[in-house]
Amino acid sequence: MNQYVDIDSLWKVLVAGLAGGVGLVALFAVGLAGLSTRMPSNAASRAGAAGLAVAVVCFTLVVAGAALGLYVMLKK
Amino acid sequence: MDASTLLLGVVVITALAFDFTNGFHDTANAMATSIATRALRPRVAVALSAVLNFVGAFLSLKVAATIASGIVESGAITLTVVFAGLVGGLAWNLLTWYFGIPSSSSHALIGGVVGATLIAAGSGAVKVDGLMSKVIVPAFLSPVFAALVAIVGTFLVYRITHNVPKSTRSRAFRLGQIGSASLVSLAHGTNDAQKTMGVITLALIANHTISPGAGTPFWVIVACALCISLGTYIGGWRVIRTLGKGLTEIESPQGFAAEGSSAAVILAATHFGFPLSTTHVCSGSIMGAGIGKRLAEVRWGVAGRMVTAWLVTIPAAALVGAGAWKGADAIGGTGGVAVVFCAALLFAGSLYLAARRIPVTHANVNEEWTGTLAPRKERVA
Repeated sequence: MNQYVDIDSLWKVLVAGLAGGVGLVALFAVGLAGLSTRMPSNAASRAGAAGLAVAVVCFTLVVAGAALGLYVMLKK
Repeated sequence: MDASTLLLGVVVITALAFDFTNGFHDTANAMATSIATRALRPRVAVALSAVLNFVGAFLSLKVAATIASGIVESGAITLTVVFAGLVGGLAWNLLTWYFGIPSSSSHALIGGVVGATLIAAGSGAVKVDGLMSKVIVPAFLSPVFAALVAIVGTFLVYRITHNVPKSTRSRAFRLGQIGSASLVSLAHGTNDAQKTMGVITLALIANHTISPGAGTPFWVIVACALCISLGTYIGGWRVIRTLGKGLTEIESPQGFAAEGSSAAVILAATHFGFPLSTTHVCSGSIMGAGIGKRLAEVRWGVAGRMVTAWLVTIPAAALVGAGAWKGADAIGGTGGVAVVFCAALLFAGSLYLAARRIPVTHANVNEEWTGTLAPRKERVA
C-alpha cells in the first residue's frame, strides 16, 4: 500500500485543502453575515458597526489567504 | 535530416493541437459554476479564463515537468512514441468533448504515451509503480478530497448566512465566485500548459535540437500559452453544460464553495507534490457542493457516466496511442506519421461536424437540463 501512496503528503493536502477550502469560504460567509447586520434599519447602531468590522477583517483574511495560496504554489 | 525536421514539426503541431483541446476541454473546470449561477456572462467568463490561463502559463518558475517521467522508461521514448501518445490523448479529449464528459486531459495524454510505449518497447518500459502512485491512486482520491471539502464548505456557508436576505446573499457570492474562479483558472494555466511544454521539450531533446540540460525554449512557452488560452476562449460549451447544469443545479453560494474547494485542493496538491487532475478535483467539488446542500440534487446518472469515463480514459487513450504507433510503424518513416496525422485530422473534423448538428454554444449553455446534453430547443425534431 505504502509504495503506491505517499501518506505523508496525502495528509498535508487534505489538511491544507480543508483549511483553505472550508476555512476561507466560511470566513467569506461570516464576513457577509457581518455585513448584512449593517442593513439600513440599523446602520447607525453598535451592532452595525461591529458587523462592518467583522466583515472587513474577514474579507481581508480571505484575500490574504488566496494570495498566500498562490505565492506558496508559485514558489515551489 | 530533412525528414526528421519534418517529423519534429508534425510532433510539435500535434502537441500544440493537444494543448488547444486541453484548453477548451478544461474551461469548464474553472468557469462552469460561474456560468451556471450567472456570476459571469458566458462570453466574459471564457475570456477571463483565457487571459488567466495565458498569464498562468508564464507564472510558474518550475521548468516544465515532463509528463511521462517516472511512468515510462525515458530510453523508450522516441519521436514516434511521443507523437502516437499525443494522438491518443487528442482523440480521447475530442471524443469526451463531443459527449460533454469532463475527463482528465492529463490522463488522456498519459494513457496515450503508455499505450504507445507498451507496443513500441514492451511492458518492461512501463513503470507500474510510478503509474499507480502518480496517476491511478490520486485519480481515486482527488475527487473524494475535493468533494469532502466542498460538502463541509457548502454546509457551513448556508449555515452561516441563513439570516442574510436571499438576494443579497446570491449577489455577494456571485462576486466571490469571480475571485475563486479566477484563482482556479490561474492554477490551471500554471499546471496544464506545463504539460505540453514538457512534451515539446522532450521531443526537441529526442531530436537533438536542444541539449538535454537545456531549459524550455521561450518560443515553446509562448506557443503553448497561446494555444491553451485560445482553446479556453473557444470554450468547450458541451463540457461546461454538463458540469454547470447537468451534474447538479447550482446556486451561487454552492458555486463559491465548490470553486474555493477546487482552488484550495489544487494549490495544496501542487505545493506538496501530490499529482492531482484539475478535472477530477473540480468535478468532485461540484458534486460535493450538490451533496452539501441537499443530497437529492446530484444527478447520479450523470455522475456515474462521468466516473465511468474517468475509469476508461487511460485504457482508451492507450489503445489509440498503441494503434497510432502501430499504424505509423507499419507504414514506416515520416510517411507513416503523416498518414496517422491525417487520420487524426479526419477524426477531429468529423467529430466537429457531428457536434455542429446539435450545437451547444454560449447562447444555450444554460438551458434547462432535460436529461441529455442537447438543449431542448434543438431536440424538437
